[in-house]
Amino acid sequence: MEAIVKNVERTTELLAVSQTETVQRWDKQTLDRAFQWTQYCQHVYTRFHANPTVRDILEKQLQVTNESLRTTFHGYTDITFSDLSQCQHLLLVGLLNNAAVPSSVVKLLFDTITVGGKYKDATGHCTELIEVKSACKVLSAIHLKRSTSFPGSDADVLGMTLMEMLDILLSPATGASKVGLAEKLLDNLLQTCGENENFSGVVAAALLSRKNNNTAAATTTTKMASEGVSFHFILDWLQQHHSLLHNMCSTLPIGLLMDLHQQSLRFRVTYGDMLKQWGSQLEYDVGEGEWVQMYTTDGVSFKTLSDHYRSLLGACPSTKEDVERELTELKVADGDFDVRGLSIWGDLLSELNTV
Amino acid sequence: MSQAQTGSMAGLKPQEVAFWLGKAVEWGQTESPDTQRDTCLHLGPLRAFLQLLLTDIHMRISTTETMRAIPFVGQFLGRLCWNPYVTADAESRSLLLQSLWSLYSEEPHNAVERKANQWIRNVLCQLATEEEDSATHMLVKHMGLPPKEYNVKVLRKMVWLLVEEVGESCSSLADPNQRCSCDSVLAASVACLPLVTCPETAPLIGALLQRPVTCDKTALSQDFLDAVSSAYSRKCVSLEAQAVVSLWCHNLASLEGAVMSLLDSVLSNPASIPHNLESTITHSLLPKACSQHGSIFLIVNDIFRSMLVQVEGNQTLLSLIHTFTICFLRELAALQPQECVSLKAFFPHTPQSLLAPLLTHPSEMAQEAWPEHLAWITASLQRLTEEEEEGNRGQCGVFEAWFLLVQCADWLEVASQLLVSARPQDCGPLLWLLTFYHHPTNRGHHRTQQLVAAREVWDHLRSLFLLSAPPLPADRLQSLAELMSAVPQQPSLDSLLVVSLLGNFAVFSHNPLSGAREIVRMVVQRSGLVREAVCVLDMVELRLNRERASTSLTDRVTLRTRALRGTLTHMAQHDTHTHGTT
Repeated sequence: MEAIVKNVERTTELLAVSQTETVQRWDKQTLDRAFQWTQYCQHVYTRFHANPTVRDILEKQLQVTNESLRTTFHGYTDITFSDLSQCQHLLLVGLLNNAAVPSSVVKLLFDTITVGGKYKDATGHCTELIEVKSACKVLSAIHLKRSTSFPGSDADVLGMTLMEMLDILLSPATGASKVGLAEKLLDNLLQTCGENENFSGVVAAALLSRKNNNTAAATTTTKMASEGVSFHFILDWLQQHHSLLHNMCSTLPIGLLMDLHQQSLRFRVTYGDMLKQWGSQLEYDVGEGEWVQMYTTDGVSFKTLSDHYRSLLGACPSTKEDVERELTELKVADGDFDVRGLSIWGDLLSELNTV
Repeated sequence: MSQAQTGSMAGLKPQEVAFWLGKAVEWGQTESPDTQRDTCLHLGPLRAFLQLLLTDIHMRISTTETMRAIPFVGQFLGRLCWNPYVTADAESRSLLLQSLWSLYSEEPHNAVERKANQWIRNVLCQLATEEEDSATHMLVKHMGLPPKEYNVKVLRKMVWLLVEEVGESCSSLADPNQRCSCDSVLAASVACLPLVTCPETAPLIGALLQRPVTCDKTALSQDFLDAVSSAYSRKCVSLEAQAVVSLWCHNLASLEGAVMSLLDSVLSNPASIPHNLESTITHSLLPKACSQHGSIFLIVNDIFRSMLVQVEGNQTLLSLIHTFTICFLRELAALQPQECVSLKAFFPHTPQSLLAPLLTHPSEMAQEAWPEHLAWITASLQRLTEEEEEGNRGQCGVFEAWFLLVQCADWLEVASQLLVSARPQDCGPLLWLLTFYHHPTNRGHHRTQQLVAAREVWDHLRSLFLLSAPPLPADRLQSLAELMSAVPQQPSLDSLLVVSLLGNFAVFSHNPLSGAREIVRMVVQRSGLVREAVCVLDMVELRLNRERASTSLTDRVTLRTRALRGTLTHMAQHDTHTHGTT
């Protein structure tokens, strides 16, 4: 443990040094070693981010290191524990922005990629980055049937990573389940995103990630156990973040919602409740002869609502029955009139039946 | 007016420069499918131009001079840096970066050079570290994902999704209501031109190549196929075996290139055969492709045939063809039963009567049956040659029959082996077969003479190995050596035939090993055909390995073979040692 703390401290110092003039003396060996240290720190993060005890120790040490480095280096920015996961990126940014770095060192980073052996050195690191990013841009311009579908590969990757993180945090195997940390994570992410739209796709991708993964890798028994746990956890959390849930259900393609509907009973209930709530928010405008949103600005239109219900009817026979029954019950509760404009449920039913 | 005075570019023509500057601007302005397609199709010529530009920059003394001579260079390179199609392609990217570095001054002398340095460092920094979508970047950071890992994962996911879709064949023929997807796949293949050498996108390249062909529209652009073919021959792309086979199916030029490359590597390095031959051939993936597609086998054989005509009597080539056929038959046998096509489809030109007998491997029948089988084969071949000489059949018949014999040369070695123990009245057909193999065309009607010579050799060998007791009759040794080193112009026997017989006698006869060794050593030393003798012994050993299950005398024989080979190799080393370089 002591060794790890010391190494993290050293790497933090290294990061600070990399932004000063001392780098003039750097050569290939120094560069490679620096990269290896940052890689090490990234491993430390992966290993301990779900372990509050170790995390605490490291965070305290980093605070101490930050204080001393602040006095030594002018314009120093603090490194926190979560920054450790971005260590290599920070080093790279620092070096590339530092005019004192010898051009020979920079040339190494942009050298041709060597098909590396076991230990990866810094040569060609930036070239590889450029290659990968450019390839992504090229591929994103290719439009075949499904590949343009929402949520898109970037949200997919983020969603999958999110699920993996939740799995670790919520799995009983890593000690006491850290529900608090998991909640904090989701809250944090939502806050980072600012707008709901940015996060909806990621959450949806996270919920769907199991479906895509099931056909791929083999799932171990421990994974099976927590797979349900993370999924439910997200749904629970969504209940408390109503606007995000609303955003998800109203902006995601209906096909995606149907996938989720198929996958989870719990989601069916959540989704059904959401639809009912949307329905209850619509008021009949006698002048227009239409059901309209009176109270909320981001509410859902009658047409959208009926589209959602239509998809549900088309999902599978048992769902069709359930939905029809539910709508009928609601219509009956409203007085069971067949006149347009009196009950949204009745009007929905007649709309759906005319197709 | 000298070029240096006007400061104009040495190898760069003004209209070329204008063209490419215009293109760079055009490509940067819009991101429509048309501009993207245009960029991809111009990648090859762009690389050539970038190379010219780089050469030009290298000729200049300083960046200041470069900026004066080719003022457009900064703007041009800068625009290309932000074009993902140019930066995704390994070669263009490398040329681009090299050009930038060539403009970098280690010791800037003035403001222009200082500014250039700063600009270059800026561009590089942005290219490597700028994150397009800051919202996503924040999310990535908060999820504790290193940005590089994130980008790689996104790329892999995109590749995976596209691979799935490309793999679905267009079903428009079966179901007319479904729109044919071949057009969009065709566009995708063009868009993938810059990605041919990127390791992460290799699965997509493979998927495009292996896309099931179910409708008559082309789904792969010719530029794409050419790019993949070129990258494969330069070993810049890693494709799985089936993808390579598909590439050859789509692109004849790449198949021919692969065959020529195999021929080249084998024929230019004859010392490596025969042991490495099989693995070299298998690694080329050509036998696998041939077994799956009869048309490929026919093309490969056509190339072999034309090589045979060009390079007459080249033992390496003959061994190659033989080993190739062995690998091919093995691959064929490994195929699923429903994929099997009758052998006639693979050998359409061969006289049918010879097909089954020659293609049956010696190990598939009892050793006792070999003489009769060979007699049958020889009789058929003799009939063919007589018919041809009488003018009844075309020349093709004999050549095709001989070609098949070359492909199934195991039977030839069996014949050599049988000659060791054959009785004088039985050796005729076997000697005929050997003579025919080494001298298929009866030019000048020398076959009769050759047969007589062959008989003579056989007699000599027989008496040396089977009948004599030590000391060895010197005169017989001398005449044998003379036969082997006869001048090639004379219509005498192929020395290889004699070496082959010698080797087989040494291995398969029952006289003591020391005696055999002595004979071989003396004869080979006098004739100088050490390498050929070693080759013969190697081939015997390889054949015995192939027939391991059926022959009963393998152990004794294998030991003899190895011992004899050891003697010869030692002799060869001793020779080079005493005589310096050979």
